[in-house]
Amino acid sequence: MSENWLLKVQDLSVHFHSPRGVVHAVDNVSFEIKPGETLALVGETGCGKSVTARSILRLVPEPPGEYASGKILLSQDQDQSIEILSAPIKAVRAIRGERISMIFQDPGKALNPALTIGRQLAEVFGEHRMDMILENAGIEPDKASRADKMIAQQRASFLQIRLFSLLRSKKGKALQKSIDDAVARALADTGIPNPRKIMKSYPHELSGGMKQRVMIAQALACDPDLLIADEPTTALDVTIQARILELIQEMQKRRGMAVLYITHDLSLVREFADRVAVMYAGRIVETGPAVDVLASPQHPYTQGLLGAIPHRRTPRGQLAAIPGSVPQLVSPPAQCHFASRCKWAAEACKSVVPLLNSTETSRKVACLRFDTAEKLSVDIGDMPARAEMGEVAAE
Amino acid sequence: MQVRDYLLRRLALLPFIMLGVSVIVFTLTRFTGSPVGIYATPNMTAEEISALEARYLLDQPIPLQYAAWIGGLFRGDLGWSGVSVAPVTDVIGLKFAATFELALAAGFIAVFAGIALGTLAGVRRNRLPDHGARLFSIFGASTPTFWFGLLLLVPFYLWLDWFPLGRSTPEIFSSIAHPTGMYTLDAVLALNAGAFLDAVRHLVLPAVVLAFGAMAIIVRMMRSSMVEAMSEEYVDAARAKGLPNKVVIRRHARRNALLPTTTVIGLSFGFLLQGAVAVELIFRWPGLGQWVTSAVLSGDQATIMAYVLITALIFMTVNLAVDIAYAYLDRRVVLGG
Ligand SMILES: Nc1ncnc2c1ncn2[C@@H]1O[C@H](COP(=O)(O)OP(=O)(O)OP(=O)(O)O)[C@@H](O)[C@H]1O
Ligand code: SF4
Ligand SMILES: [Mg+2]
Repeated sequence: MSENWLLKVQDLSVHFHSPRGVVHAVDNVSFEIKPGETLALVGETGCGKSVTARSILRLVPEPPGEYASGKILLSQDQDQSIEILSAPIKAVRAIRGERISMIFQDPGKALNPALTIGRQLAEVFGEHRMDMILENAGIEPDKASRADKMIAQQRASFLQIRLFSLLRSKKGKALQKSIDDAVARALADTGIPNPRKIMKSYPHELSGGMKQRVMIAQALACDPDLLIADEPTTALDVTIQARILELIQEMQKRRGMAVLYITHDLSLVREFADRVAVMYAGRIVETGPAVDVLASPQHPYTQGLLGAIPHRRTPRGQLAAIPGSVPQLVSPPAQCHFASRCKWAAEACKSVVPLLNSTETSRKVACLRFDTAEKLSVDIGDMPARAEMGEVAAE
Repeated sequence: MQVRDYLLRRLALLPFIMLGVSVIVFTLTRFTGSPVGIYATPNMTAEEISALEARYLLDQPIPLQYAAWIGGLFRGDLGWSGVSVAPVTDVIGLKFAATFELALAAGFIAVFAGIALGTLAGVRRNRLPDHGARLFSIFGASTPTFWFGLLLLVPFYLWLDWFPLGRSTPEIFSSIAHPTGMYTLDAVLALNAGAFLDAVRHLVLPAVVLAFGAMAIIVRMMRSSMVEAMSEEYVDAARAKGLPNKVVIRRHARRNALLPTTTVIGLSFGFLLQGAVAVELIFRWPGLGQWVTSAVLSGDQATIMAYVLITALIFMTVNLAVDIAYAYLDRRVVLGG
């Protein structure tokens, strides 16, 4: 592993071409994920979290999307790394589901309603674990016929499989059993009771929590190095949310994988993440160890978010406490995006884009208050001192 | 509810619906006047005509006439077809086979080409294939069948002489047996390549013309449901698993996009039967459409009624088939529930 990072996103910008103009959904975003750690990506709705996450698997549709700039590096053996955005699509496909997996916000939408759970999981094994399927069926991988492989990959049609198992019934059955076993093991691994029965069900026959468990089982089937969880509990009942998060945490501990955890609920970050990156209007405005950022937020936006963290009475996850609304992302002006809502905004904030700067070791903030005035050659004159801002946040 | 139970219930209902259809058809047809003209010759005397009327019960009240007709139907007697100069039941099988062969060929073309083109257009939205497909379906949906038929006839029949009119070449027709009445199938059964080629050559042009309108509808529907399916999250999820594009499109997007299209396919079959009338006239295809047209022109009521009955039966069968296909594609469907 090179320099002990697993994934490195550098200056990523993603644009969407719409009739209203170019939407700058992700704007010069950089971050790193280390092996085994959990990075939480937080921010209000529409700030570009999902687009960032999808970019990592190169899943942003082109068009209307466009990777305008940047690199996404995934480390490989022997200090090598692969750049996902420019790699051949075949290499990217080999990464998807194998080294990086993703689970989605609404498991009801992310599972295909027309296919059984078993078939959907089998696809993952057919794509990435063909040799294992063949071996477990007693077929030597290099001696496998095209028909063997097609069945292992679930590429054969129903009729072909029928015909095949009729003609050479022993082999066909062995293959089917090998696939079924792999799927059942993956489901059981995720603590799903009665996997053989679940396999035969269609998504609509399962509860929301069960569907998300299936999604997790599917994502972890090939033991990935990184799991991207895009608001994995938002669509679920509150009672089930905690259990799904515990499951992800437990699987992470057991397998040592890294997790990119996307949420707009800061209260979940505290119990769940090692580090946090706060996003606002397409940019990362603050990063650092979760404990530190939550204890003493430095960026005014983070402070606002934390001010909005529910204490006993306010409902969960609401961020309405920050007055104003997210600026539109069509041709954004070169300024601090938060300026229109920021208590401390000065003239200077409307003429420069604040960059992420280290404030302490392992912490970074994109706010002019934390930039050195000399570097900027702009007047930040009457801005409150850093200490004052901290005090306000602590109230 | 199990698919099989549902099927049985629908099948049990079928005779009752057919009975209703037969009552309506018979009454309406009889209101257009007495059918005696088709049986009489110009030089018959008034007594001879009344004798004819008495023989066919035309002097009886309509309910009684209906009873006699429906009774005949159960004995396999649908009356005398004046236009074919033969009993209706002797001719109807052949006419049906001719139209069925034509509609089946057209249906195949419309469904397979329509789904393929619609899928392509949906996947490559707003790019060249999509624009092409859009042009195609606008043209297909707004072109009258008879006009398009003539449009193809001029180059392919008149100038190039690639495709002949009618159903077959007489010598070839008489050289093989015709157990099914569908000439392509008959040729296959007789293992006669020459006859098969001849049948196909006759079939291509009318089938393409007939398919055109239905295909236009299928393309449009398939395109829009494909666009919708491609934006579903399970398509992204399938990509995120590392599946190749082809599998993502076929197994995940297209399979679901086929659902709404199935209904349209069922509806467009009615379109085929309608269009068959014009196509059969233009291409001299001796099927139900051509048969009923001459029957209408000469007031041949027995033929008209038989045509309506068989068309109703076809419609109901197709609807049933569509429901079954739908249940197979969408596991969430609970039939009849
Ligand atoms: N396919 C697309 N076409 C056009 N614009 C898009 C597309 N996908 C995302 N966007 C735009 O990108 C911006 C960021 O969207 P994104 O989905 O990343 O937000 P998010 O932070 O995940 O929000 P949420 O919390 O609601 O999931 C939005 O303004 C959205 O309009
Ligand atoms: S740069 Fe200025 S406007 Fe932006 S957050 Fe900092 S103080 Fe507020
Ligand atoms: Mg999102």
